Amino acid sequence: MATLNEKKTCSERMADFRRFVWNPETKLFMGRTLINWVWISLYYLAFYVVMSGLFALSIYCLMRTINPYEPDYQDQLKSPGVTLRPDVYGDRGLKIYYNVSDNKTWEGLVTTLHNFLAAYTPAAQHLNINCTNNTYFIQDTFDGPNKTKLSCKFTADMLQNCSGITDPTFGYPEGKPCFILKMNRIIKFFPGNGTAPRVNCSYVGEEESRPLDVDYYPVNGTFNLHYFPYYGKKAQPSYSNPLVAVKFLNITRNVEFKIVCKIIGAGITYNVHDPYEGKVEFKLKIED
Amino acid sequence: MVKKRSDVYSVEIYGTKDLHKTEIEDEEEKHKDQKGNKKKKKAEDLKKELDLDDHRLSTSELEMKYGTSIDKGLSSARAAEILARDGPNALTPPKATPEIVKFLKQMIGGFSILLWIGAGFSWISFGIQLAQGVDSAFDNLYLGVVLALVVILTGIFAYYQEAKSTNIMASFSKMIPQQALVLRDAEKKELPADQLVVGDIVEIKGGDRIPADIRLIFTQGCKVDNSSLTGESEPQSRSCDFSHENPLETRNIAFYSTTCVEGTATGIVINTGDRTIIGRIASLASGVGNEKTPIAIEIEHFVYLVAGVAISIGVLFFIISVSMRYKILDSIIFLIGIIVANVPEGLLATVTVSLSLTAKRMAKKNCLVKNLEAVETLGSTSIICSDKTGTLTQNRMTVAHLWFDNQIYSADTSEDQTTQPFDQSSPSWTALSKIVTLCNRAEFRPGQENLPIMKRVVVGDASETALLKFSEVILGDVMSIRAQNRKVAEIPFNSTNKFQLSIHETDDPHDKRFLLVMKGAPERILERCSTIMINGKEEPLDSEKAEAFQTAYMELGGMGERVLGFCHLYLPEKEFPESFQFDTDSMNFPTSSLCFVGLLSMIDPPRSTVPDAVSKCRSAGIKVIMVTGDHPITAKAIAKSVGIISATSETVEDIAKRLNIPVERVNRREATAAVVNGMELKDMSSEQLDAILREHAEIVFARTSPQQKLIIVEGCQRQGAVVAVTGDGVNDSPALKKADIGIAMGIAGSDAAKNAADMVLLDDNFASIVTGVEEGRLIFDNLKKTIAYTLTKNIAELCPFLIYIIASIPMPIGTITILFIDLGTDIIPSVALAYEKAESDIMNRRPRNKRRDRLVNQQLAVYSYLQIGIMQSVGAFVTYFTVYAEQGFLPSTLLGVRVNWESNAINDFEDSYGQQWTHYQRMYLQWTGYTAFFVSITIQQVADLIIRKTRRNSIFRQGLFRNKVIWVGIFSQIGIALILTYGLGHVTALNFTPLRFQYWFVAVPFAILIWVYDEIRKLLIRRHPGSWWDKNMYY
Repeated sequence: MATLNEKKTCSERMADFRRFVWNPETKLFMGRTLINWVWISLYYLAFYVVMSGLFALSIYCLMRTINPYEPDYQDQLKSPGVTLRPDVYGDRGLKIYYNVSDNKTWEGLVTTLHNFLAAYTPAAQHLNINCTNNTYFIQDTFDGPNKTKLSCKFTADMLQNCSGITDPTFGYPEGKPCFILKMNRIIKFFPGNGTAPRVNCSYVGEEESRPLDVDYYPVNGTFNLHYFPYYGKKAQPSYSNPLVAVKFLNITRNVEFKIVCKIIGAGITYNVHDPYEGKVEFKLKIED
Repeated sequence: MVKKRSDVYSVEIYGTKDLHKTEIEDEEEKHKDQKGNKKKKKAEDLKKELDLDDHRLSTSELEMKYGTSIDKGLSSARAAEILARDGPNALTPPKATPEIVKFLKQMIGGFSILLWIGAGFSWISFGIQLAQGVDSAFDNLYLGVVLALVVILTGIFAYYQEAKSTNIMASFSKMIPQQALVLRDAEKKELPADQLVVGDIVEIKGGDRIPADIRLIFTQGCKVDNSSLTGESEPQSRSCDFSHENPLETRNIAFYSTTCVEGTATGIVINTGDRTIIGRIASLASGVGNEKTPIAIEIEHFVYLVAGVAISIGVLFFIISVSMRYKILDSIIFLIGIIVANVPEGLLATVTVSLSLTAKRMAKKNCLVKNLEAVETLGSTSIICSDKTGTLTQNRMTVAHLWFDNQIYSADTSEDQTTQPFDQSSPSWTALSKIVTLCNRAEFRPGQENLPIMKRVVVGDASETALLKFSEVILGDVMSIRAQNRKVAEIPFNSTNKFQLSIHETDDPHDKRFLLVMKGAPERILERCSTIMINGKEEPLDSEKAEAFQTAYMELGGMGERVLGFCHLYLPEKEFPESFQFDTDSMNFPTSSLCFVGLLSMIDPPRSTVPDAVSKCRSAGIKVIMVTGDHPITAKAIAKSVGIISATSETVEDIAKRLNIPVERVNRREATAAVVNGMELKDMSSEQLDAILREHAEIVFARTSPQQKLIIVEGCQRQGAVVAVTGDGVNDSPALKKADIGIAMGIAGSDAAKNAADMVLLDDNFASIVTGVEEGRLIFDNLKKTIAYTLTKNIAELCPFLIYIIASIPMPIGTITILFIDLGTDIIPSVALAYEKAESDIMNRRPRNKRRDRLVNQQLAVYSYLQIGIMQSVGAFVTYFTVYAEQGFLPSTLLGVRVNWESNAINDFEDSYGQQWTHYQRMYLQWTGYTAFFVSITIQQVADLIIRKTRRNSIFRQGLFRNKVIWVGIFSQIGIALILTYGLGHVTALNFTPLRFQYWFVAVPFAILIWVYDEIRKLLIRRHPGSWWDKNMYY
């Protein structure tokens, strides 16, 4: 079998290309006459306008079917994630290292906490109501202003020693640092099945059996049930997550510890793939 | 002597010189010297090695030279020694590319190189990320590994396919192991021919293939057919005499791979294997390199196109992403994604499979394709140079006409005749039939009583065979008729007498006369006759009757038929009593004043399927050129009867005859047909040949040697044609190699021809070539559809990356997922398109113009990429946004979130409803998005598959259910998607997740839209042929 060889030199190729771009004999620009280019461009313009229109129409239809208050599905949100403040991320997850004698190492951490708690000042919380019931705060109707639902107040002072009010340094210089835990919001999620979920922190790894000396704020480290369920941003625009603060009282200096804080309660599950579902793990090392 | 010899070989050597010339034209200038030298050296080698003197030696000298004995042969031990020294007596197959090179070629050919680049980048970014300690570094490692695996697996697959088709061929050539009768240790033994060594004494008989070059030492009526070597079709007699200085011409040497037609002979093997004459020619022929096939060029063109798009979009977006302040590493990862999305990984494998499916289908129709790509080449053929004998004709002489009682009768010449329809009542016919039956030495081989007459094997030459079969068909058992008419004397045919005579007792017990029957060249027979039989009565042969004979003879001869005259004489009982001893040497019986009975004319008739096939070629715009070694008149007659020269067209000579003017004065342009003699061709310049090929639509080359075939092929190729050439002889191999597609004859073809060819015609039938052409054209159309189908989804795979980079939305589809589409769901459907039936009669359009009609043209690419591909992307994006919106992320929140979305550190990422997501929860949603995107591409690919069934006709006309394999494709596509989503949905590494069922249907309206849009496109194309729409939308 042979040969349909069309070997061309480089200059021939260039000439061919130039000819393709503009062929003076046939008056073809890139293989088409100019008027042809206009037509084809117009066709594609129209085509894409129609396609964009169809896309817009589809999205519009989609939005029409969407409930503004809550999503149709919460397939991935079976159990809430848990986050920690201060949150300093190392290569593999949270890693909080500081030196008690070096201000610079912990000032950033303290600032993070202050900033975080800024949303929990009475002023920031003034739209919310005081709740006292220790049961789920179920609202079937829109009782709030502008067709919203009411949210319970959570103020920083509920965190007592870790509120940053009595101790603006959150115990960091003393080596008894406060950490604040937050449970992610999930619409219509009822944690604990009637009992308030609580936080429990412990060492992990080699130190597992070692008791961890820790104070929880509010007492017992519970998330009060009246903060649940969450009804969504549109229904509860001023909702703020309840918090639990943990204060580690007796951390051996200059040793890196791995600590996990789990939220314990019915409906809160843990996932091997997800290090932040229902719990939060972090490394802590306090130097002096 | 040397000078004389080179004269004789001129054909050979010029043949190879012509090869250099054309090769050199193709090559770059710099290779010229080197190459030329090499070839020259080879040719000189050939000359030198031809210094054979064995034909001059006496028997005893030969015995001495080869250390053998004519009575005892070689000893087995000695033979084994020589065998070890010289190697087996077989032609070395042309040097094959080493398997590892073939394999590596598959590894780096086509898109592989792009994918290797992608894999390389993946590993580089893995290295960098590992050094930086990034969590997701290993993803890139895996991606690189997967890409490498894809390349290696598709490479292995392509290699396997290639090897499989080569194996078919290999098994074919091994089908008939040749045996030879050898004298060794003073015993006659049957040995496989490849065990022969120099000095062996071999015996051959009629019908055998000569197992090596042999010097004959004993012969008995031996004739050999040297056509595979020299192209002469007439058998040549062989004896022990040293008759010519030139070993090729001398009578006492028989050459390897020629056949012994009749007689027996014994000879000493003087050359074996590659050292035989044939071996040397074959090795010269294998020097003509294989070059790219049209489909290879098309695929290369397509690979360039896609690679060009991939690289330019990749680089463009690399620049965009860098200037959008993405990290370089991220930009590289985007680049990998863009490359993977753009490259149709599975396509080349699909093309290979489609081609091999077609090859299989063609093999069923007796076209065995050696080289997969030749499948399509056959389809783009614009000129077929066909042999006559055996290809266009049945390759057996058959009685075509009879003349007796002053009248010409036509006989049935079809392949499966069982009766003859002409009028057999005349007593003249009875007399004629008796002569035909008795004056004939041919016999059926015993044990074939159950075979149809036409299929029986006959011992005897071609015309005697024809006569034997003819009489067997009409009269029944010829052998018993001959037995009843015992033969008492016989003079066999020889070229000086030009007649054959035999004397028989009659089958009438009361009639004691002897019957003398004679046949031979009509004019010679007539000379010996004084009377002629008309309606059973002997009448004197006067000038009027002689005139009638002449007219009939001329007419039959003019039809290119071989005419034989028949006469008889009842010898008077008185002079030749029962006891009379006939002596054929002294001829003690009359051989003149006989009674002329009639004429029979024979021809090798065309195969019955051929005229139809030729007219198909004609409507398909394929020029059929007949190239034959036969006489121009015969060639023209056959050409006319099969339609190569149509009934109305005339040659220059015909016009001259009709207008009664000299040939020179005829306007050559008026003649549509031409019969070119090989002698004329020899003296023609290539310009003259070009002129003939250009000016005449119907051409017959007669009296050509196989070497001239090469010249004709080159001439056709100069016209820009894709040329298919048939051939059987060794000397055809250069032409077979040179042609775009060389077709070797499976039955008559020599191994060298089969080696050189791209295709083997199992039944030697021209009509099979035409079915091959049809399949070839169909596969070209279907490959277009396959490629259009495959390219479409590339846009739907590419857009996500582009939009991801520009709009910073969460990644809509993952690289691994893309690979699952390209190599998973899409493979079977794209192969299924190869089974699609033709949309219209493909044999009614002109052959593809290899420069203009590309496999992947601009329209195909643009329509697939910029229209259907965009529709698919829109459909897939709608699904993507639906999934995200229903899980909490409305489209507006998705824009610009990429950095936070992908951040490991953010585990309370807020959605549109105020809910908060950890990183893993988001990633899981992202994989659900991948799955949804994947599913909607799959769903839309179903619509794409359906629309690609046709390019012009409505799907409803083509029939939705005619091609069942398409449905296999559709179900497999959906099945694989179901397995991936629900079966493997929990294997996180694959990034598939179980998907809510309704998301399978989001893209359905877009799938329908694609179908409707394409139907409208086809409708407008059909309604407005030649319009702007047709030009831009028809691919």
